[in-house]
Amino acid sequence: MSLNAKMKTDTALKPQVKRKRRFTRNDWMGYLFSAPLIIGVLAFAIYPMIAALIMSFHQTSGLSIGGKWVGLSNYDYVLSDSLFWQALTNTLFIGIWSVLLGIALSFVLASLINNLKWHTGKNFFKAVFFLPNVVSGVATTLLFSFLFYPSKEGLLNFVIGWFGIDPVGWFTNPQVSRYSIVLMSLWGALGYNTIIFLAGLQSVPRDLYEAAEVDGAGTYRKWLYVTIPYLRPIFVFMLIMGTIGGMKRFTDVWLIGGTAGNPGGSLMTVVLYIYRNAFLSSQMGTATAASYLLFIMIFVLTAVMMLLNRRKDSFD
Amino acid sequence: MNTVDANLTHRRKKISLNQWILTIVLSLGSFVMIVPFLWMLVTSFDWAARLHINFPPRLWPEEPSIKTFEVAFTSIKMFRYISNSILVSVGVIIVSALSALLSGYALSKLRFKGANIVLLLALSTMMIPFEMTMIPQYLLFSKMGLVDNYLAFYLPALNYAFGTFLAKAFFDQLPTTLREAAILDGAKEVSVFGRVYLPLCTPIIATMVILLFLGVWNDMLWPLLILKKATKYTIQIGLAMFTYNNGIDKQPSIIMAATTVSLIPVVVVYMFLQRYIIESIALSGIKQ
Repeated sequence: MSLNAKMKTDTALKPQVKRKRRFTRNDWMGYLFSAPLIIGVLAFAIYPMIAALIMSFHQTSGLSIGGKWVGLSNYDYVLSDSLFWQALTNTLFIGIWSVLLGIALSFVLASLINNLKWHTGKNFFKAVFFLPNVVSGVATTLLFSFLFYPSKEGLLNFVIGWFGIDPVGWFTNPQVSRYSIVLMSLWGALGYNTIIFLAGLQSVPRDLYEAAEVDGAGTYRKWLYVTIPYLRPIFVFMLIMGTIGGMKRFTDVWLIGGTAGNPGGSLMTVVLYIYRNAFLSSQMGTATAASYLLFIMIFVLTAVMMLLNRRKDSFD
Repeated sequence: MNTVDANLTHRRKKISLNQWILTIVLSLGSFVMIVPFLWMLVTSFDWAARLHINFPPRLWPEEPSIKTFEVAFTSIKMFRYISNSILVSVGVIIVSALSALLSGYALSKLRFKGANIVLLLALSTMMIPFEMTMIPQYLLFSKMGLVDNYLAFYLPALNYAFGTFLAKAFFDQLPTTLREAAILDGAKEVSVFGRVYLPLCTPIIATMVILLFLGVWNDMLWPLLILKKATKYTIQIGLAMFTYNNGIDKQPSIIMAATTVSLIPVVVVYMFLQRYIIESIALSGIKQ
């Protein structure tokens, strides 16, 4: 905010500044040009960060930011709320499965596409696998709510019917619903990971493969001992991005199960928990405390994965 | 000569068998990816599926009709939602891209005091998940009376740190001598930026516009919080609210018709700029 004020008094200060030679004309131009960004960052990132922290220590009433100071009791409440733990378990469950399956599948897919010598085919498959990625979460969820229709009319149930399997309540059976979300998010996110892996595969230096060939490695062993270790930073990047994305799951579960995380609370996620507390019960203190816990978890997970990446980096 | 030729053709044949298997496997995979879209299209044109899903699944509509789209446009205010979405997207793109280009230019070419602090601050805020700041942001805008006002989209768009990062990296590659020469000729800073550098920025502007458009068009969470009046809904929240209130798996062909319409802009953009989008995503590694 002080920079904001500086911008306004820019012209008034100029002569004085020139005499002191503390800020050159260049500096002022720099501040002027970065003012939109600086204002944006201060007002819509730094301020909400601080406000959320303050709110998480207050018992808020309605929509006000202040309230009665309650110390850590909001955090206490969230951490002893079984619904929060349920939400966290679900979020992690869905997140871990979609990240691991997504990375494994897209890596195999990228390897296949990369080995294709037919150039047009390569571009075609890239384009097709990436297409679901530009589709919104709302559209994906609406589409899959029909494909995953719980009776025999649903397309997936129709297909598994060929193998003599009874219709599954993909989004209505609490035992299954989390796996269904994983399946749906695989469809949506596969292409993104594939594109990144493809870029990585093309960056592996040829001489590494040649050296491996001299040592007598075949295609499969080259893949295992050259490609995979060389791409480790990309694997870590995907783990981080996937985990962050997975921790923020909201749109699909909200559309499918509403704010109760139906069926049977199996689709209650952390962000849904935050949303519920903030906008249904107006417990802003509780909600911001939960959002800080979410942030800390994302931060710790990211830090751990970055540390894992730094260790024994044989190719650097 | 002959033996070499024979060798080559022999190798080519061997490769092509491998390549055929690859192509078949990948085609099967693509088919699985495409099936949901095909199902959506078939259902959206099927008047018979307006109440229930057809059984067994069909390759062609039972009662081909565009009445489903007419109903979709009347029962869900698609025209209104789409124009709202365009209004929001265009505004956010202009604000974000300008903010990113201006600050990227300043950070790269002006090297003002504290430039590194500004860059570091902006980049570190990229780590903050929106889900964490959404509550104070919502309270801020509701206090300013900007609920149902698109300023609630345009103002936060100022904070596009990722774009700043992209723009700075791009400006770093452009020669500084251009600016020095223009300044010597007596040009003002603004015209150096606007007339000398901006025309060179088309690739990076295109990247930002694409990423921003896909992000804004597809966003639902912020519209859900900030838009209360149905007349202000963007396409995603309009569609979501309609199904949320009517039951998510009801009226298959009407919902699918509306979904198809909501996908047209992104799919058109994707079809024309497909290689460009894929490249910029592979390059940046970050989806906005």
